[in-house]
Amino acid sequence: MKIFLNLVVATLKDMVRDKMTIFWFILFPVLFMFLFGMIFSGGSGNVNFDLGVVVEQPDFFSQAFLANLGQVEMLTVHHGTLEGELEALGQQKRNAVLVLPQVQFGSDEEIAVPVYYDASNQANKVLIFMLSEIFNHVERGMQNRARIFTVDAKPVQAESLRDVDYLLPGILSMALMQLGLFGSVRLVYLRQKRILKSLGATPLPRTHIVFSEIVIRLLMAAVQTTLIILIGHFVFDVKIVGSWWQVLGAVFFGAAVFVSIGYMLVTFAKTEESGHGIIQVVQFPMMFLSGIFFPLEFLPAFLKPVVRAIPLTYLGDILRSVLIGTPYAFGLTTDLLILGGWLTVSLILAIRFWRWE
Amino acid sequence: MASIVVRELTKRYGKLTAVNQISLEVEDGEIFGMLGPNGAGKTTTVEVLVGLRDADAGEVRVLGFDPTTESVQLKRSIGVQLQMPTLFPRLTVEESLRLNANFFPDPFPAEQVLEWVGLKEQRKVYTYKLSGGQLQRLVVGMAIISNGRILFLDEPTTGLDPQARRNLWDVFHMLQKMGKTIFLTTHYMEEAQYLCDRVAIIDHGSIIALGTPNQLICDHFEEKAVELSAMDGCDEAILEKLPGVTKVQAAHNQITLYSTNVEATIRELMQLEAENRLAVNDLAIRKASLEDVFLKLTGRSIRQ
Repeated sequence: MKIFLNLVVATLKDMVRDKMTIFWFILFPVLFMFLFGMIFSGGSGNVNFDLGVVVEQPDFFSQAFLANLGQVEMLTVHHGTLEGELEALGQQKRNAVLVLPQVQFGSDEEIAVPVYYDASNQANKVLIFMLSEIFNHVERGMQNRARIFTVDAKPVQAESLRDVDYLLPGILSMALMQLGLFGSVRLVYLRQKRILKSLGATPLPRTHIVFSEIVIRLLMAAVQTTLIILIGHFVFDVKIVGSWWQVLGAVFFGAAVFVSIGYMLVTFAKTEESGHGIIQVVQFPMMFLSGIFFPLEFLPAFLKPVVRAIPLTYLGDILRSVLIGTPYAFGLTTDLLILGGWLTVSLILAIRFWRWE
Repeated sequence: MASIVVRELTKRYGKLTAVNQISLEVEDGEIFGMLGPNGAGKTTTVEVLVGLRDADAGEVRVLGFDPTTESVQLKRSIGVQLQMPTLFPRLTVEESLRLNANFFPDPFPAEQVLEWVGLKEQRKVYTYKLSGGQLQRLVVGMAIISNGRILFLDEPTTGLDPQARRNLWDVFHMLQKMGKTIFLTTHYMEEAQYLCDRVAIIDHGSIIALGTPNQLICDHFEEKAVELSAMDGCDEAILEKLPGVTKVQAAHNQITLYSTNVEATIRELMQLEAENRLAVNDLAIRKASLEDVFLKLTGRSIRQ
C-alpha cells in the first residue's frame, strides 16, 4: 500500500508539473464554463421586457401610470386578466406581471403593488427596479407626498430552466468524458517511452501503475467537479439540487465509465499520437450527439439510435437530474444499466487486448 | 556458489534467433561481462535473466529463482538498468531515485547513491532536462539503489565521457567489495578488460569465447601486437615475411603486426626503414587485447 501511495504521489507530481495537463483537464472546462455561461446567462429577454399589466379598476391614476409605461422603449405591455397573464408568465411569455390596484385617494396608507416575475432570469430584477422608478416618477408628478406605492415583488419560478442551468451538467459531462478518454492515452505514452518497461524490471506490480493512473483520474474528476460547480453556483447562480454524495457518486461513476472506455480505445493505438487520434474521432461526435449541450429534440430523427447508444447521453441525463433537478429522460435505472454495461464491456475488452509492450 | 546459471538458453523473435543455446555461470561476487556488437543478443539475454522475457528453450536460474515463474521474488533481490533510459519526465533526479528505492525491501540511502553516480548537484533537476550522460548515470543509480544482490546493467557506460566512465568503474568495484554480483553488457573492449573478472564474447546470439580477459588473450595470442602507421603505404607481403610475424592486419595506413618475437620483428623493421623501403611512424608495442581477440574470432572489428 505504501508503495502504491508513493507511486500515486510520484505520478501526480509528474502530471501536474506538465502545464498542458493542467490546461486541458482543469483550466479548459473552467474557461468553457465561464465563456458559455456568459453567453447563455444573458437570456433572450433582457433587451425587451414583456410586461403583463392587470388593471383592477381603470381610473385617472391607472391611465397616468400606463402612459408613463408607454414611454419606456424596452417594455412591451400586454393587458389581460390576472389568470391569463400569470399563465403567460409560466410559459415565459412574460418577464413580469404587474397588478395595478384600485387607488383610494386621501388615505395615508401605502399601497402595495404586486409584481409577479420569473425569478430564474436575473435580468428581471432590473425590470423590478425599473418599475419602482416609474412609480416614484408618477408619485412626484402627483403631489409632494413621499410614498404611496411600494412594489411588492413576488418571485415565480418558471418551470423551464435557463440555458446556463442546462449548461452546467453538460460541461461537467464533457469534462469527465475528456478526462477519462484522453487521460488513458498516458498509458500508451508510458509504454511508448518504455517507462512501463523500466518499471516492469522493478518489483512493482504492473497493475499498480494502472490503478494509480485511475486513482489520479478520479481525484482530478473531483477537482474538476468542485471547480465547475462552484463557478456555476457563485458566478452564474445555478441552483444545485442534489446532495454532495449524490453528485460525487455520479461523477466517480461517470469518470470510471469513461476511463474504461478510454483504455479500451487505446488498446488499438501503438503510439501516443494515434491514441489521441482515435480518442478525438470518438469524443467529438459524442459531445454533440449526446444532448449534453442542447435538448435531444433538436436532433434529426435518423440520429436518435446513435443518441440512444452512446454513454455520454446517459451520464448527461444523470448529472442533469442530480445537479439541477430535471426529470430523468430515460429513468435512473436505465441510465445506470447502460453505463454499467459500457463499463463492464470496455473493461473486459481493455484487459483482453491491452499489450504491455 | 553460482548466482546465475544459464543452460542452453534460446530466444527467438519470429524467425530470428536472437539468443542461440548459450550456457554460462556467474559466481557470487563476480563482475561478469557480456561483450559483443549491437544486435548480438546481449540485451535479450539480460531481459530473460531479469524476468522481462520468457525463454523459448533452456534453463535459467538467478539466485535460485526461475525468472519466468518466480519473477516477483527475483525482482526484489536484484537491481536492473535497461538500455535507452526513460523515466517520468517531470520528476527530479532525487524523486526518481526515491521512487525506485521504495520498491525494494532494503535500499541504499538516496544521498549515498547521488554521491556515487555524481549527481548531487543535479538532485533537484527534472529528468527531462538532464544531459544524456547525466540521465545514463541516473538510471545506473536507480539500479544500484535497490541494494540488490545482483546488479544487471545493460551497457551502463554508453554515452558517458571517459572521466564519468572511470568513476562508475570505481563504484562497481566498490560494490563488488561489498559482496555484490554484477552482470553487465558492453561493447567497450577496454571496459570489459579493465572491469570484468570474466567475459563472454557473444556474436550472432552465440557465445564464441568465455574466460578471464587475460586467459582469452593468451588462448588466442602468444603474440604481441606491433602497431605502426606507414606513411606511403607498403607491401603487406614484405611485412608478413618479417621474423616472428604470424599475422598482418592493415587498414589504410594503420598496420598491426602480431609477432611471437617482437625484438626480431622490430630490428628488421628498422632495417627496412634504413633502406628507405618503408616510412614508419608512431611505432608502438602492446600486448594483444580483447579487441584483437574479437577481431580474430569474428574477422571484423566490434564497432563495425
